[in-house]
Amino acid sequence: MADRNTFRLMLIILGVIFAFLYIPISVLVGLSFNEGGLPTAWTGFSFKWYGALLENEDILKAAGNTLIVAIFSTLLSTLLGSLLAIGVEIRRRNGKWLETLIFAPMIIPDIVLAIALLSFFSLIGVKMGLHTIIVSHVVFNLAFVCAVVRARLKNFDWSIVEASADLGASTFTTLKRVIIPVLMPAIVAGALLAFTLSVDEFIIAFFTAGAGRASITLPMQIFAMIRFGVTPEINALATLVMAVSVIALALSQRLNKGGLPGQ
Amino acid sequence: MTQSFLSIKDVSKTFGTVQAVDGLSLDIRKNEFFALLGASGSGKTTLLRMLAGFEDLSAGDITLEGTSIAGLAPNQRPLNLMFQSYALFPHMTVAQNIAYGLEMDRLPKAEIAARVNEILEVIQLGHLAKRKPEQLSGGQRQRVALARALVKRPKVLLLDEPLGALDKKLRSEMQLELKRLQHEFGITFIIVTHDQEEALVMADRIAIMKDGKLLQVGTPHDIYEAPQSKFAADFIGVMNFLPVEKKGTNFVGADGSVIRSESVTEIAKNGAAIAAIRPERLHVTGTGENQLSGEIAAVAYHGLDLLLHIKTPLSDTPVISRMTADEADGHAPEVGQSITVQWSAKDTHIFPN
Amino acid sequence: MSTDRRPMILMTPAMLWLFGLMVVPCVLILVLAFFRRGVYGGIEYTVTLENLALVFDPLYFKIFLKSAGIAGLSAAIACVLGYAAAYAIAAMPRRHQSMLLFFAVLPFWSNYLVRTYAWIVLLNREGLIVNLARWLGFEGELPSMLYSEQAVIIGLVYNYLPFVILSCYAPLSRLNPDISEASRDLGASGWTTFRRVTLPMTVPGIATGFVFVFVLSIGNFVTPALLGGGQFQMIGNLVYAQFLTANDWPFGAALSMVLIAVMLGLLMLQAVVAERASGRKGAQNG
Repeated sequence: MADRNTFRLMLIILGVIFAFLYIPISVLVGLSFNEGGLPTAWTGFSFKWYGALLENEDILKAAGNTLIVAIFSTLLSTLLGSLLAIGVEIRRRNGKWLETLIFAPMIIPDIVLAIALLSFFSLIGVKMGLHTIIVSHVVFNLAFVCAVVRARLKNFDWSIVEASADLGASTFTTLKRVIIPVLMPAIVAGALLAFTLSVDEFIIAFFTAGAGRASITLPMQIFAMIRFGVTPEINALATLVMAVSVIALALSQRLNKGGLPGQ
Repeated sequence: MTQSFLSIKDVSKTFGTVQAVDGLSLDIRKNEFFALLGASGSGKTTLLRMLAGFEDLSAGDITLEGTSIAGLAPNQRPLNLMFQSYALFPHMTVAQNIAYGLEMDRLPKAEIAARVNEILEVIQLGHLAKRKPEQLSGGQRQRVALARALVKRPKVLLLDEPLGALDKKLRSEMQLELKRLQHEFGITFIIVTHDQEEALVMADRIAIMKDGKLLQVGTPHDIYEAPQSKFAADFIGVMNFLPVEKKGTNFVGADGSVIRSESVTEIAKNGAAIAAIRPERLHVTGTGENQLSGEIAAVAYHGLDLLLHIKTPLSDTPVISRMTADEADGHAPEVGQSITVQWSAKDTHIFPN
Repeated sequence: MSTDRRPMILMTPAMLWLFGLMVVPCVLILVLAFFRRGVYGGIEYTVTLENLALVFDPLYFKIFLKSAGIAGLSAAIACVLGYAAAYAIAAMPRRHQSMLLFFAVLPFWSNYLVRTYAWIVLLNREGLIVNLARWLGFEGELPSMLYSEQAVIIGLVYNYLPFVILSCYAPLSRLNPDISEASRDLGASGWTTFRRVTLPMTVPGIATGFVFVFVLSIGNFVTPALLGGGQFQMIGNLVYAQFLTANDWPFGAALSMVLIAVMLGLLMLQAVVAERASGRKGAQNG
């Protein structure tokens, strides 16, 4: 009897927590389809507010910028992070400083990295824009890609690398024809993770975008809009952004059964 | 004597403070099936990996047909290794795995295809060419790994515990298969194994390794019939050991009887030594120079043969005698019976203890 | 030796990237904190401790303490809720656990701004909660829930709760059920078993959760800016202001330096807790 009561209590706890986690997002998603756009009354299902997004020049421009930033930072960080992971795992004996250096970008608070990069760029006289956001995003993205690829390398059969050399392949050929193809699922999973992190990232982009509206990204646009209050367009935009992250992460999770590293 | 084909000269390998291979020299002949036999930690795998190029030499040299290969990277050596784990590429099909090495040699596509098909027929896996390694059984994987190394027609094929992962029945089949392939291809095989039976069945010559050194090199017959050390005698086959003491020119057993031997390894001083006799050299009938009496402690069938465990005052562990079916016919030994067996002086080996 | 050089070639580009765009900028911040602010903004290259001293000026130090209070309270609430959720997930049948965990953590991977915005939708003057209250019959002026300290704490707890669930679930799921059954067998009640056995063995997960929520909250400026509505400042907003509006970089750098010092201290403390717990575990096994 006692056990059944405990179990019931556990179910209630789960219900409350999941309600707390999901009600706010669900309300947001629901309202984005509300014809009238107001939380006071449901006036019918409509894609009207999504349509409105497509006519908003600012949002389209910001979305375009975000896409550029995400694509380039993903490409760069996937390349650098994967190679780093392979190198680190081949080497095995890695000093503590090396592990710290690789781990640091994942735990360093965004605001610290953001102001550090801002000071750095202005001090060396780099004009800021999308390019500075891209290189800044690569800093944390490459660490995440590296973590995902390393997780896969933990149960990698290194004898196939020796087999490839034994059969006459050079180091480069082995990398190209054996190591990278075998790691591909993890590399793609890492790239998807990097992509969503970059799409969602706000603080670092905010600080390294430079003055003016030219290189505003979607999260920066959302931030600016939210400060002026609640509008049905933001509901729709927020829903879209959330959908992109969830889909990309579900795909990433699927590809890489090892799971995602905790942030 | 044939011209030396693969020559290992004073080769050493140290890992930190561990001496894995210790000043080892060995000549391997062309087209021979050679086995490196030893327990784990004997240095046999390290030696094989030095031949393949995965470990640098700390000292010494390795020459193939007169030219040094010690400085060559693994991908530049005309030797191929069949890995203990098989190391098949998981993302490639059987055919792609086998073609890989030929592609590295930049052979024309048509020739690659022809040679892959040919070897697939040899290993009888033509119908599985498009499978991925994970869809194969252990035995099939083993044959793909073999084919992948063989198809390059290396001057020497190195095999690292090639049958280790197979079950017993499959293993004895593959022992004969390996032997057949070695004949057919006319390639020098060097196999590393800890299984003495495997070495005895397959190899033309065996080298026994211990602590990074060679204990003995010879044909299976030599090694079985004339072991040169207690370790070699113990490592290969079953052996009875009787503690003896050297007194002048005689060796005296624990019960005071003199044990005669025509095979005495150099023993300088008087003192403890050990006599070794194969179970099948102990006979119930005949006229050997040596004999012992005892009580039968156990009888075990081994195929048609009978193994008698005899408790004697000569040693703490029972002496094992192997009787053939013919011998046993007349006697039908039972547990508890007393028995006398005799053996010849030329079948007795005496080693320093 | 040669086997060591090849992986270095693979690692070098990423290492250079991290060095040039993380290590150097962070060191720069440390250095910047010791320079003087120029008359018209900018930096005057004379070494001074003024900026650090200013951080401990009552005016600013008050903000520091306030931020720490909010961060601490948020972390504590998140730990209670997160531990309860993790405990409940671990009590479910094994085959459902990974899915429950996945859905508990899923919101964590969606956009932070969007999650914060969701609470604006709920809490604002025309928001759902106010409407719900009216519908239930509340009359007159309702206290504004948005733009308050409570709203900021709700926002922080909401955003970081999944992390705590994750960090608490890890030790709970590794817990050997035999141990708590042994405790029951020895006569302890369920509650005593939890307090004396389960809780002490899972403290490292709670410590990890607490430290991370605290660290992420104390430097946060998005949530105070959106849900606090500029009613009060937290240390993150202060740093933000020094860099983007007040143009006093050396002071901003000094603030961040103290922030980093607090974070590093806490992370080390958490490492110590984890180590002591694993030491205790070792003693139990041995």
